[in-house]
Amino acid sequence: MLRLVANTRTKIVFRVRLAVVTAAAVAITLVAAPLVQAAPQKGGVANIAMIGEPQTLDPMSSTADLVGTIMQHVYELLYTYDANSNVVPMLAEALPTVSKDGLVYTIPLRQGVKFHNGKEMTSADVVASLERWMQMAPRGKAVAKEVKSVEVKGPYTVVITLNRPYAPLVAHLALSNGFAAIMAKDSIANPLTQFIGTGPYMFKERKPDQYVQLVRFDGYSARKEPASGYGGKREALLDELRFIPVPNANTRVEGMLAGQYQFADVLPVEAYSRLENAPNVKPVLTSPFGFPYMVLNTKQGPLSNVTLRQSVEAALNNADMMAAAFGDKKFYDTDPNHYARNTPFYSTAGTENYGKGDAKKAAALAGTAKYDGTPIRILTSQQYDFHYRIALVMSENLKAAGYKVDMQVVDWSTLIQRRNDPALWDIYITHSAVLPEPTLTPPQLGDGAPGWWSTPAKEATLAAFNAEADPKKRAALWGDVQRVVFTEVPYIRIGDFNNLTARSAKLDGYVAMPWPFFWNTGLSK
Amino acid sequence: MIRYLASRLAGMVIVMLIVATLVFIITRLAPGDPAAVMLGEQATAGDVAKLRGTYGLDRPLPVQFAYWLSELAHGNLGQSIFLQRPVTQALAERAEPTFFLTVFALGIAMLIGIPCGIVAAVWRGKAVDQVFSAFAMLGASIPSFWFGLVLMEIFAVGLGWFPVAGYGDPGVPLSDRLYHLILPAIVLGVVNSALILRFTRASMLDVLGEDHIRTARAKGMSEARVVLHHALRNALIPVITVIGLTFALLIGGAIVTETVFGLPGVGNLVVSAVLRRDYPVIQGALLVIAGLYVLINLAIDLLYLVIDPRVKY
Repeated sequence: MLRLVANTRTKIVFRVRLAVVTAAAVAITLVAAPLVQAAPQKGGVANIAMIGEPQTLDPMSSTADLVGTIMQHVYELLYTYDANSNVVPMLAEALPTVSKDGLVYTIPLRQGVKFHNGKEMTSADVVASLERWMQMAPRGKAVAKEVKSVEVKGPYTVVITLNRPYAPLVAHLALSNGFAAIMAKDSIANPLTQFIGTGPYMFKERKPDQYVQLVRFDGYSARKEPASGYGGKREALLDELRFIPVPNANTRVEGMLAGQYQFADVLPVEAYSRLENAPNVKPVLTSPFGFPYMVLNTKQGPLSNVTLRQSVEAALNNADMMAAAFGDKKFYDTDPNHYARNTPFYSTAGTENYGKGDAKKAAALAGTAKYDGTPIRILTSQQYDFHYRIALVMSENLKAAGYKVDMQVVDWSTLIQRRNDPALWDIYITHSAVLPEPTLTPPQLGDGAPGWWSTPAKEATLAAFNAEADPKKRAALWGDVQRVVFTEVPYIRIGDFNNLTARSAKLDGYVAMPWPFFWNTGLSK
Repeated sequence: MIRYLASRLAGMVIVMLIVATLVFIITRLAPGDPAAVMLGEQATAGDVAKLRGTYGLDRPLPVQFAYWLSELAHGNLGQSIFLQRPVTQALAERAEPTFFLTVFALGIAMLIGIPCGIVAAVWRGKAVDQVFSAFAMLGASIPSFWFGLVLMEIFAVGLGWFPVAGYGDPGVPLSDRLYHLILPAIVLGVVNSALILRFTRASMLDVLGEDHIRTARAKGMSEARVVLHHALRNALIPVITVIGLTFALLIGGAIVTETVFGLPGVGNLVVSAVLRRDYPVIQGALLVIAGLYVLINLAIDLLYLVIDPRVKY
């Protein structure tokens, strides 16, 4: 009887323990299941709808976002940016060693990195690539003015010697736009006919107006650090990427909803609710993505007078312009500072001048500057709808302050031609991506860009900013530059906007960054 | 007949020369710069000037025109600035989707337009005539852009019967690529059927009122035979003219429909070239389209000989 009771008790205890273990296993499975399902799987093809056909596949010759977005999968840089906008090594083994005088940068390279043609990357390939970049790429040419030499020092070390200290050098080498792509030396030519890089994907085929086809590079040499932003480990999970030009924004939306595309870039903000309500699609907001800005002609015409430029700045209501351009506040921001609070370059210097539509102040300044009624010529295009809407509000703001306005709406090709002639415009509207290094954009912070801003204050503050090697001190010096921009008004940064994209609900592992990338992403079954 | 053909071909050469001159002048006088578009926002004026020199865009316009004409005389349409390939190759790559889209669209337009036009004419004034006339007016008024998006929403997104856009994945067979053309062909076919319907109706009404039709009916011929055998054949000439013109228009590029459906056709090529100021492509494509237009017109005129024995050249 006791044995029977003991056996029964044992069975009961066993069953209770089994129940508890089973319940725990079920609970763990229920919690873990979403995580398990979200882990990207290997295989499959991603159809990626882009805004159009890339002008070229040469990543150095164009600063178009489209070109960089596609070719960053094929080519890599010495450095790149992580999720916190820090420069981190990619093909370089580590950040460069900089000499005490700030003139010599010694860059160690990773060893055993393979190109798509099977050959190992060496310093000779890097030097040849950087020389081509400095000859061809717009930012490369700006950097070339600062560089005395780029030399090989052994098979895995590159030495860059500068003419004078230039702190943005590494930032330029890390930017994947008009970028210092490291190419196989044998493949370098003008124009490029082969696209041999070290990236996780290889170029396979391009059919203009149909697709650019990239396939997994099985010999890819990945970094070991965890992925962060563009940096860290990259893994080609998808077999193939197809970048498909779909110029019509509505077609990109419909293609996502129908499941034909696994990702679509640059979608109209009006489509947000449709995408959110679709079970097979996830809208993705990249925030911040870019900023619209207007360039003022400091060389010729009425706005060559700085007081008139300050008057224009006072007249404009930036919040109204952003609301007209983007509608819902989830798609834009109107912080006056050029960099966000959580970034190293955050500063409030000069932000008291951020435009709030003060027509009285603007009129007073115009009177001081003896404005003679010459119409202010605003050059804009409907190719970017938000430029045009900004121009409409700007026009009314200026009229309220007593200005005459001549709004000239042209196509984009005409605009970028006309803006090179100072006799033809007073203000033009454009936009830029938000980049982690201030001197990378807008081009008016450099030399010779339309607007032709060139003053002692600009030269002095930028020279100090670019010469300072200490990152903390440099960050503080940005405030001086920002203040000069607000007081001399060569350009007016209107606000920040977010980019609406969409991914398939089955596209796992996608991380939203300004230039979308598809390594570390896969398709769930 | 031989003299007629010779004079038409000679006229064609003159037309093409005029078109070539006009196309060159208009594209070069339009503002915009392909070098600036290609190099992007960050390029300096010096960069742009250098690239213009590379493509010979800094030479005087008469020199550029003379050079282009001499290349044309050798059958060379030039090299695309953006695509980095011969213009003839760019056009050849886009010929397939444009050709099949045109054929499908025209087929649909004729299948709708001709029978409906005949019915509308035979039952003139009745409810069916009013319905078809209203349809014709609607078809002529509907923007193809809007119509394409509506059909896309219903049949591609909603029902999933057709792909939304594009011309097929890499390496797919022709049948799969042609499947991508069905929805855009329906859009173009319906929109273009309106004109064919109206012309068919008007032409049939003219013929149905003639003496020989009254005689045929008086002889006891069936109405179907009167309409289809006697009236239709005599009414075909203006209908064939409008079909031919529609064909030429479609070959020239159904620009809006190709853009909405993301088709890599001639229309898409021309629009992209205009936006980028890819001068060789604009000039070459428009010249080829003009040439096709002239040839189609000649073909229609020759077809009259077959349809109407009274026509002699």
